[in-house]
Amino acid sequence: MIVTESWYLIVSALLFAIGATGLLVRRNPLVMFMCVELMLNAVNISFVAFSTALQDLAGQTAVFFVLVVAAAEVVVGLSIVVAVMRRRPSATVDDLAELKG
Amino acid sequence: MSGTFVTLVAAEIERPSIDWHAIAPELILLGGGALVTVIDLIWLERVRKLIPTLTSLVFLVALIPVITLWADGSGLPRGLWIIDENVPATGVWEGAFVVDNYSLVLKGLFLLSAYVIVLLSTNYMSEGDYYDSEYYQLIAASVLGMLVMSSSRDLISIFVALELVSIPAYLMAAWRKRDLKSNEAGLKYMLMGVFASAILLYGMSLLYGIAGSTLLSDIAAAIDIGESRPVITLGIVFTIIGFGFKVSAVPFHTWAPDTYEGAPTPLTAFLAVASKAAGFVALINVVIVALPTQANVVEPFIWVLAAITMTVGNLIALRQTNLVRMLAYSGVAQAGYMLAPLAVYDGISDRATSAVVTYLVIYAAMNLGAFAVVIIAARKTRSAELSSYGGMFNYAPGLTLAMTIFLFSLAGIPPVGGWWAKFEVFRVLTEGNRTSGIALAVIAAVNSVIAAFYYLNIAKQMWFLPSPDGDNSRIAIPPALLAAVGLTVAATIVSGVLPGVVSDMTDFVNVAAGQ
Amino acid sequence: MMELIVFVISAAIVLGGALGVILFRNPVHAALSLIASFFGVAVLFVSQEAHFLALVQVVVYGGAIVVLFLFVIMLLGVDREEDITEEPFEGQRVSALVSGVLIFAMLMAGIFLSGRTGDDAGDFGPAAISGSSGQVVPLTEEQDVVQLGHDLFTRNILAFEATGLLLTIATVGAVVLVRNRGAEDLVVDEPGTSSR
Repeated sequence: MIVTESWYLIVSALLFAIGATGLLVRRNPLVMFMCVELMLNAVNISFVAFSTALQDLAGQTAVFFVLVVAAAEVVVGLSIVVAVMRRRPSATVDDLAELKG
Repeated sequence: MSGTFVTLVAAEIERPSIDWHAIAPELILLGGGALVTVIDLIWLERVRKLIPTLTSLVFLVALIPVITLWADGSGLPRGLWIIDENVPATGVWEGAFVVDNYSLVLKGLFLLSAYVIVLLSTNYMSEGDYYDSEYYQLIAASVLGMLVMSSSRDLISIFVALELVSIPAYLMAAWRKRDLKSNEAGLKYMLMGVFASAILLYGMSLLYGIAGSTLLSDIAAAIDIGESRPVITLGIVFTIIGFGFKVSAVPFHTWAPDTYEGAPTPLTAFLAVASKAAGFVALINVVIVALPTQANVVEPFIWVLAAITMTVGNLIALRQTNLVRMLAYSGVAQAGYMLAPLAVYDGISDRATSAVVTYLVIYAAMNLGAFAVVIIAARKTRSAELSSYGGMFNYAPGLTLAMTIFLFSLAGIPPVGGWWAKFEVFRVLTEGNRTSGIALAVIAAVNSVIAAFYYLNIAKQMWFLPSPDGDNSRIAIPPALLAAVGLTVAATIVSGVLPGVVSDMTDFVNVAAGQ
Repeated sequence: MMELIVFVISAAIVLGGALGVILFRNPVHAALSLIASFFGVAVLFVSQEAHFLALVQVVVYGGAIVVLFLFVIMLLGVDREEDITEEPFEGQRVSALVSGVLIFAMLMAGIFLSGRTGDDAGDFGPAAISGSSGQVVPLTEEQDVVQLGHDLFTRNILAFEATGLLLTIATVGAVVLVRNRGAEDLVVDEPGTSSR
């Protein structure tokens, strides 16, 4: 059996769906953030799969940028989480009810 | 080992020279921002008072090349590179970064909005005892992202520009770090924002997989197959959902009211005007340039988004008692009007783009003005509750008049700006005589009536009702805020009385082909 | 055959790690599980000849990002167990699961309904769809890091510079946000719009 790009795309779609589900289920902001990282990895798998299938480099370049931007997002996101949780160590997203949407 | 060496030599980069004039606005902003940072680092507290002035100067200086490009280019698009025939034409050099009239108008809009937002922030930040010089550096970075966005015609640079706009905004939303509300605003905005980025990226990866290129014009060529396929539809839907979060379209708007209320108010103005406009620019770039042949997929989706965005936004705004939240939901509703032309863009993409950009320009003036008045009023009343605006006519007649102008404009009542923005939208919607366009125009008209109700209610509060605590002492307005109100009032009135001023600038020709 | 074995094992690690992230109740376990998932992704990259990206994946994701997560968890002392058996609101678990399955089904439908057109040239890309060549930067025999560098510093130079600024500004903002100036407290002292 040959592993085609469709196989990678299936893994990518599964990973994306797991990440999205986790984001909706979990209430700890740190774990929610990890779920977003899973979704970004799903994107990376799919970019690389397309890149290989098409024999085109642009997909790999895109992954590079996703990686860098994800690093910046994590720095910013974790600093916000620290700013919030240092005051309320037990905070979950549901406890943040100062503002009612 | 020697093989590696040969490869490296072979890969030596040859590239055409860079068109420095075309990227001068970005470079000035980058250099100016770095300069402000360095000055702040060296002299610390001694220059703290000067930082806002310096930052606003940087924005104004960056406006100069925008104007010279406008005057010099006479509508001719230019790119990042100067191509000549000595360089082997690879196509790699073209099309990812485009400077045409469309992007220049938007760059001007972003720089002027940023200038007004610095005016709004000056007193607020220095009196709040927060770190303020870094705040201005973050604003400059975010605005730089917007400038890059207006010229991006490539999925990768659109994504990077969008993140450059958003990431400083996450930080600034949480800037009042001793305030639980601000913490929460930042956390919610950040979580929703990165979630939206992930969805957007997945859509982009599918579009790339279909087209084999990240360049928007290549995508347009590759998917021009006279039919739609599920994977194309999926890529389009995911991409538009990702942008939907950024422009706070219903049902992806849930972060907006909380973030708007909790964030520092000048930053709220920034999010509601500049950041939202950047999201629209990204949406226009992708829809108009990359998806001209996929109207049968894009139009119904945006139609539904536009219809529910304006309706839900207005209905919730009706029930708000806090003015900032009301402006947040009214901003959601206004996003619906701005989406509307994109629901009928097939065949008239230039006209649709013009209508959206016209709306963005006028919306920026009137909404920034409204936030300026909210900030000034909060200096006295310490509150944004609607009832605290009672009796304002008695102690601040000029301010009341200015706010009334902004409210009339937001409601779309002539002669002030807003009516022209709405008129353009209606004109595009009814242009093709298509049922979908006319139906959306009817929904928009009904919504404008609903919206007029709550906008005029604010005006009634200010003019006719008594002050809640009987305190009729005057408000001291600092010069920066006065300048902000003056500028926005002037822009709102001029765009309404002389609509030609705006429409001459936003009369685009062939946005899609700009390369 | 080898390729298949590698694929199956690493895909299992990726998905198992991902499930671990959303099922472990302790954030530390979730973070460790995340590392496993990231390593699996790196192996998938290697099996598709994207060696440089695999390296960056391990260094940036496995090294920097997860360590940052663990650091924050330990710093804040929030490594207690989260009770995920209690639902925040009625039916939340079910609706999340349903939407997850829906997303997956949608993606699968999209990918498979469009791809299988019968020609062996590949299921995607301009060749599969319209025959237009697009602006393909071909993957050649050169090392991928050379090609990637070439692409970054020519076509994507502007985006590359923008990410540089992005990282700088993220660091500046993060420092301001978490820095503690003496005894900061929870006073709400804003001359703004706080209604209470």
